[in-house]
Amino acid sequence: MGWLRLKDLRDLSVAVIHPPDSDGKVILAQLNRIGCRTDLIWPPAKFSPSGVDVVFAGLFFDSQKELKSALRKAEKPGPTIIGVVDYENPAMLELLLAIQATAAISKPVRSFGILTNLVVARTSWLQQVEAHDRISKLEKKLAGQKTITKAKSILMDMHGLSEVDAHNTIRQQAMAKRTTIEEMAQAIINANDLLSVKPKDV
Amino acid sequence: MASTERPITIGFLFSTSGVTSGVESTQRQAATLAVEEVNRQGGVVGRELFIVGNDTGSDPKRFRAEAQRLLEEDRVDALFGCYMSSSRKAVLPVIESFGSTLFYPTHYEGFEYSSGCIYSGAAPNQNARWLADYVTETYGDRYFFVGSNYVFPYELNRIMRDLLSNRKADVVDEVYIPLDPSADDIERVISRIRAHGPVIVFSSIVGVGAVKFLQAYDRAGFDRRTYPITSVTIGEPEMKAAGKEASAGNVKAAPYFSSVRSLANSRFVAAYRDRFGPDMPICADAEAAYFQVRLFAEAANRAGTTDRDALLRILPTFSYEAPQGPVQVDEATHHTALWPRVAVMRDNGEFEIVREASAPVAPAPYLVELDNPLDLPSASMRARVF
Repeated sequence: MGWLRLKDLRDLSVAVIHPPDSDGKVILAQLNRIGCRTDLIWPPAKFSPSGVDVVFAGLFFDSQKELKSALRKAEKPGPTIIGVVDYENPAMLELLLAIQATAAISKPVRSFGILTNLVVARTSWLQQVEAHDRISKLEKKLAGQKTITKAKSILMDMHGLSEVDAHNTIRQQAMAKRTTIEEMAQAIINANDLLSVKPKDV
Repeated sequence: MASTERPITIGFLFSTSGVTSGVESTQRQAATLAVEEVNRQGGVVGRELFIVGNDTGSDPKRFRAEAQRLLEEDRVDALFGCYMSSSRKAVLPVIESFGSTLFYPTHYEGFEYSSGCIYSGAAPNQNARWLADYVTETYGDRYFFVGSNYVFPYELNRIMRDLLSNRKADVVDEVYIPLDPSADDIERVISRIRAHGPVIVFSSIVGVGAVKFLQAYDRAGFDRRTYPITSVTIGEPEMKAAGKEASAGNVKAAPYFSSVRSLANSRFVAAYRDRFGPDMPICADAEAAYFQVRLFAEAANRAGTTDRDALLRILPTFSYEAPQGPVQVDEATHHTALWPRVAVMRDNGEFEIVREASAPVAPAPYLVELDNPLDLPSASMRARVF
């Protein structure tokens, strides 16, 4: 994970989902000073997630349903979310976690602290996205390894090959068929399943 | 008044119009009574106490504007009032920016500290916890939650759900209605209660909505001897407005009821009714509005000044004989040690106290129950927060 450069912040598109009151305006003005592209949106139903990198979301109990469904419109991984809160009770904190915020700013909003939270939230979000990608890749790789191991043991049983020979056989077949070793292994498993069906099962 | 010096001016933030004007009017009257008594007894540091403050309309924006005006134009020494949490929240930044003090006389949901605020109403450990004990022991284990759609009911319901769950009781439903509910809103709640079969109701509806709800629940014919409306909010003013017949059987937990038997309370009730009328209802929030003015005056007289820092230093150092019993401000939290009680409304329109603390209970605004496993921060993000 690289260090988030401050100039990257200037390229961000930031939506402020908040009533146009003094708190909303302080956030907007500070984001404009930082140089982000900004948009003040209220009520939450007007939010359109396309192209939005960061959302500052005002949390209110009486509009929580609208906010949640507005944020759900975004495709995964969704924007970086920073909550704007005026109570510190657990009901409010649950709401903050429910919208998957990575930072929060408190009311009355001051200009000071917005940049800090933007940087912390965005960095934390990037780390989450990167970690999520790595986990997906590893899960895929692990599944491939399991397939190869199973295919190897089929070949070892059927043809009395050693593990090294079984592996080489699969690799050579994959090269000959111009496919991946995982796909070749899956083909061997499929073929074995088909051939081991006894006639009376059909 | 013996003194000819400039009076000390205090600002009142109580609504005489809007959804919670009923209870806020009783708070204004109780605080006014306290000011009059203080002045008869020599005032504050030898000076007369003078009240200013206009109607705040049960609207947080008007609370904020009035607080700003009182501090800027009338240069008040301190502010007293706010009922709904949303109005307190709107006022606190103004208090902080002027370096002033707000005395907040209303029970609320906890989880707050502001250096310039003295909280003299009950925190949830001083009302909800006592209610949970009494109702689960007395009525049963199936509860229906209904509240007004703003911060206090959401957090209070979360707390009450934990308290009931710790006592092996279930919450069958949780619904919210607008602050100024229509007849349809109320009817929808009644139908849902009926659909669940007999349930004990826990209500955090405030103001006019509470009165409408009491009456609708009565018309619906639920037997309140076994399925009462229970709350920490619906008190003497709301039940008087709804009528004796519609209110009998309902249960409230609070640090004060006008039926408290003590010398200090007989004096307070007599003085209040003498001043404002023989049938005037007095609730816990009114009593807190009364005693916090007395606390302010006592603190200023002890400190010899109304300087904010001196007041905040001296307030936690003494106990004051309030109508509910001796109360004392807690230095760490700025909340107040109070006397939890549970009472049932009887046919004669009086609350009968059925359980009470034997000593003042310290406020715990950030923790309702020590033995509650859910109060511990969880390592898992998926778990509930506290």
